[in-house]
Amino acid sequence: MYTRAFRYERADDLPAACAALRRHGEGARVLAGGQSLLPMINVGLAAPEVLVDISRVAEAREITASDGYLSIGALVTHRELIASEVARAAQPLLGAAAAHIGSARIRNRGTLGGSLAHSDPAAELPVVMTALGASYELTDGRAEREVRAEEFAITVFTTELQPDELLVAARVPVLGPGWGWSFREVSRRRGDFALASAAALVRTAGGILVEARLALGGVADRAVRLAAVEAALTGATRDEIAARVGPIEGISPVTDTGASAEYRRHLARVLAVQALEEACARSEGTVSGERGP
Amino acid sequence: MSPETVTITVNGSRRTATAGGHLSLLRWLREQAGVTDPKYGCGEGVCGACAVLVDGLPVASCIVLAAQVDGCEVTTAAGLRRPDGSPGPLQRAFHRSHAVQCGFCTPGMLVCATALLAEGRPLDRQEIREALHGNICRCTGYGPIVTAIEAAQHELAAGAEGGAEPS
Amino acid sequence: MTSQEVRRSKADELSVVRQPLPRRDQAAKIAGTTRYAGDVVHPGMLRAGLVRSPVPSARIVRRDAGEAVKVPGVVAVLFGEDVPHNEVWVDVPGQTIEVAPLKANMEILATDRVRFQGEPVALVIAETEEALTEASERVEVDYAEEPGVFDPELALADGAPPVHPQGNLLARWDIDAGDVGAAFESADLVVEGTYATQPVDHAYLEPEAGVGWLDDEGVLNLRVSTQVVQHYRDVARILGIPEARVRVIAPYVGGGFGGKEDMTVEPYLALAVWRTGREVRMEWSRPESLQARAKRHPMRMRYRTAARSDGTIIGQDIEITADSGAYAYLSALVLLYAAVHACGPYRTPNVRLRARCAYTNNPPTSAFRGFGGMQVVLGYESQIDEVARRLGLPPGEVRKRNSLVKGDVLPVGQVIETEVLLPQTIDAVLERAGPPPSGSGPRRAAGRAIASNLQSYGRLVWLNDAAAAWVGFEPDGSVRVRCGVQDLGGGQASSLAQIAGELLAVPADQIVVHFGDSALNPVAGTTTATRQLLMSGNAVHDATAALRDQVLGAVAADRGEPVESLRFSPGAVTGPGLRLPVPEALALCRRRNVPTEALGTFFGPKGVPVTRNLRSGRVFPDFTFGTHLCDVEVDLDTGQVRVLRYIAAHDVGRAINPLSVEGQISGAVVQGLGMALLEEVVLDEGINLTAGFFQYLVPTASDVPDIEVIVLESGEGMGPFGARGIGEPPIGPPLAAVANAIRDAVGTRPTILPITPERVLACLPSTRS
Repeated sequence: MYTRAFRYERADDLPAACAALRRHGEGARVLAGGQSLLPMINVGLAAPEVLVDISRVAEAREITASDGYLSIGALVTHRELIASEVARAAQPLLGAAAAHIGSARIRNRGTLGGSLAHSDPAAELPVVMTALGASYELTDGRAEREVRAEEFAITVFTTELQPDELLVAARVPVLGPGWGWSFREVSRRRGDFALASAAALVRTAGGILVEARLALGGVADRAVRLAAVEAALTGATRDEIAARVGPIEGISPVTDTGASAEYRRHLARVLAVQALEEACARSEGTVSGERGP
Repeated sequence: MSPETVTITVNGSRRTATAGGHLSLLRWLREQAGVTDPKYGCGEGVCGACAVLVDGLPVASCIVLAAQVDGCEVTTAAGLRRPDGSPGPLQRAFHRSHAVQCGFCTPGMLVCATALLAEGRPLDRQEIREALHGNICRCTGYGPIVTAIEAAQHELAAGAEGGAEPS
Repeated sequence: MTSQEVRRSKADELSVVRQPLPRRDQAAKIAGTTRYAGDVVHPGMLRAGLVRSPVPSARIVRRDAGEAVKVPGVVAVLFGEDVPHNEVWVDVPGQTIEVAPLKANMEILATDRVRFQGEPVALVIAETEEALTEASERVEVDYAEEPGVFDPELALADGAPPVHPQGNLLARWDIDAGDVGAAFESADLVVEGTYATQPVDHAYLEPEAGVGWLDDEGVLNLRVSTQVVQHYRDVARILGIPEARVRVIAPYVGGGFGGKEDMTVEPYLALAVWRTGREVRMEWSRPESLQARAKRHPMRMRYRTAARSDGTIIGQDIEITADSGAYAYLSALVLLYAAVHACGPYRTPNVRLRARCAYTNNPPTSAFRGFGGMQVVLGYESQIDEVARRLGLPPGEVRKRNSLVKGDVLPVGQVIETEVLLPQTIDAVLERAGPPPSGSGPRRAAGRAIASNLQSYGRLVWLNDAAAAWVGFEPDGSVRVRCGVQDLGGGQASSLAQIAGELLAVPADQIVVHFGDSALNPVAGTTTATRQLLMSGNAVHDATAALRDQVLGAVAADRGEPVESLRFSPGAVTGPGLRLPVPEALALCRRRNVPTEALGTFFGPKGVPVTRNLRSGRVFPDFTFGTHLCDVEVDLDTGQVRVLRYIAAHDVGRAINPLSVEGQISGAVVQGLGMALLEEVVLDEGINLTAGFFQYLVPTASDVPDIEVIVLESGEGMGPFGARGIGEPPIGPPLAAVANAIRDAVGTRPTILPITPERVLACLPSTRS
């Protein structure tokens, strides 16, 4: 079995963690929930020399809403995000997407920051953050900076984070009344990685789509925002959505053991339409009990 | 700070043993604390055989480090008996419903089912199935396990004494 | 009553069997106290692990452990030259005239050649897991890759790289019965179909594991997760020591399904113990198991079926090609099962069958629940479904029309000797199912279908199968059963207690079964081939009947009563005017020099070894028949398939423990659904891409509905009390039940497994949104 020893250091706070990362250099990895990193270590796909554990620091655990923004600490677990009334009131899309992550065991430990930093192209939270136009607060222990979600992910498993930087929080703009949301995903089994996913937000007025946001996951090396599709939908009724969404451009799905690139491309369009239609219905209030914020 | 030993309360007993920093909670329980009912099934957190409760919440102990839960309370399936050692409604239901064949998934199933029932939401068979998607069983076909959880839920809701509480 | 009469007891005369008793092992498993093979952890135990080839086809150019042995905590690194007899070989009957070892062999540790990704090359022994990992990485092996072949049909073509020197054809079986040419000429309908099944993994939740040590007699003990304790003989041969000096103990096994039928950790643990003299532990990782453990044979099947316009099948022309992977293991026998089962549970007078299996550089394939009888269900049940459709006849009626009946002869020549309740199983599922399903929305299509099958139980008759059991009374009237059966969780040991308890009127808590120990239990044979109830069940039955007769005979002689008037009742021997508590009856036996224990051996039915052209009066002891019904809903946008409802009906002869029977059926069906819809070992030029549970998709509770089980009891099985075996039979029909149901839903038939959403989309008419 792969049971390689590594050194372990528990950080007292985020600045100490950043300092530890600087001290240890390339062989160090951050341990938060560990639900992506530890499986990789267990099967021999990762072999860090040092793990810097931030899972017990007191910071970055809050979910607050103020001044039109929802702020979610990087160490908030998926379970906490789903259970948060503040988050649900501000933006139900987040909890709805997080509910697709793994199993309850995974959601009890996995964190928002961990998921965003790991940057799996099929992960749910990067997709919704991209659709929502969120931005992330980063720290290196000495200074903070803000990066927009769309620019944060660079490619597979690669982000803007410098070797000594950590995510502190995600800032999500709270959309006003009239917006509906939807998250749709196809996976082989419940809880599996998505073969493809779509996050949509739609604002309607008098049955006409005024504004749309659409992001897809699992069909490129990171979540992609489909600005062209969004533009083409302005002025559409719900029934016209399917016709207005043409072939999806700007995606580059891959073939793996889960699905072929062609099937993912097919799903991209199917899920985009489904998500847009559902978000439209929520915006119009025709999905019972789930009126948008 | 780099703890070489950790102290974890396992099934009600405080245990202190070396963790080496890198030992998973699963290995620590099995090799250092002599608690072998959580099993190694996959090492990736997918199969559920290693599930234990940490401060009441189910986790995959193969992908949690012992060092991360230093000072916490861990409950394994063996610790789900009542304080007097007798089986609670869930264990009795598993027994009656023939929800055990090879038994390798059983400890993890009991842990996760306990947590599910503790949430208190009434679930129908389909909802139980969906909630159990993270626990693989290769022998039973799942039906008897769902039946057992349904029966335990019924008994707990009817106010039968105690329950499968962690000791 | 004689043994034979009791064996066929009527249902209402039985009081202990047919009771849904919770099994004895369940309490400990629920309490978490059961010690599986890997649960024994002692300080000071050594760890053993394997270095495996990363490439599928190569010469080994250099092997060097110089750096590895320098790692602190390493005890030894062994190569093939360090193994006293570095090979196991495989019986391939029928490919020579006699049952004799063919030159189909395999090295324990490869020396000059590797033939599949994952083949073991070195054994590392260390004090800790960490040292083991580090040392394994430092063992240096240089490979010179050679062209490999990864498709069995390509392997059998001219010019294919030879996987073994003797060529790539491992085995072939032919059946020629009747006049196939005439049948096809006179047919009203000919249906052609080509079907393909994929390699799948057992994915037992307990990976391969065990512990080995030398006891005080110097006997090599192995306590391992295995279905076959008799491998102690193979281990002895490998080490070059007397067979009596090796002992294998099988604790409760965390799932086998055929994957622990061949040796897994045994030879390596044995080598490590033999070399170090110390206690050693070995546990395979899940990726290791998924990568290197033998799989189910993928098969390509071409069927041509000739039928009359009334649905009668008059001929089958079948070609089967199976992938044996890099080493033979049990491939020749798996192919034999496929050949014998290939026409299904139907009277088929004219048959031409050609079955071949070929070596490739894919992972080896071997035993897996169903053992070749499973894959062909997709072939014959898809074909008969298509026959019914094209003729516009109800699928159940067509199956009933063709169903075998007692006295019919299979194409291979075997006579069906027991009642066939196939029509009743068809009626049972159709009646239970009620009205057919309808789609839940405009972009959903629903469908329903049935699939029937037969599957043998008991081993091939020429293997001279036997099982022994010892049953004895303790002076206080409690009972001890000793039987080498391996318990995989199917209630193998519990059933024996029920059988003994039935005959001696002893309650379950007064009977202990000692099982799974090759040194301390009479040999019961493998827990495979759905044979244990037939073999060890009958052995316990016969030993118990003999014990009963001994004790009753002693009491009868003592009291001057006819023995027929005496019987065992709970706690006492009773008769007219007599009630003698059991302890007193036993004391009486001792006074009269009558033993209070008995050893019974049950010999399976006999037969002549087959030759390559299969024609045999008897190949298997008997068969189990059944029918399944499946309702599906297809998402027309994504191709996803949801199984809405599933009903399985089997004639089990006699349900010794109804809960166990239902559990076996339910579990087998879900494994079958997994193969139908989800599971696949994906190989790319011999490289395994699905060596983790993220990629290898096993069905979860969320993927399957409740499996509704209907048990029929003909009372005519060959097992104790008329039981038939039920472990394997239910696993095959799901393949065809799902394929046929999708055909019903969308109009086109999936023919390649697994039926992924993509493959379903390909079945849909091209007009889709």
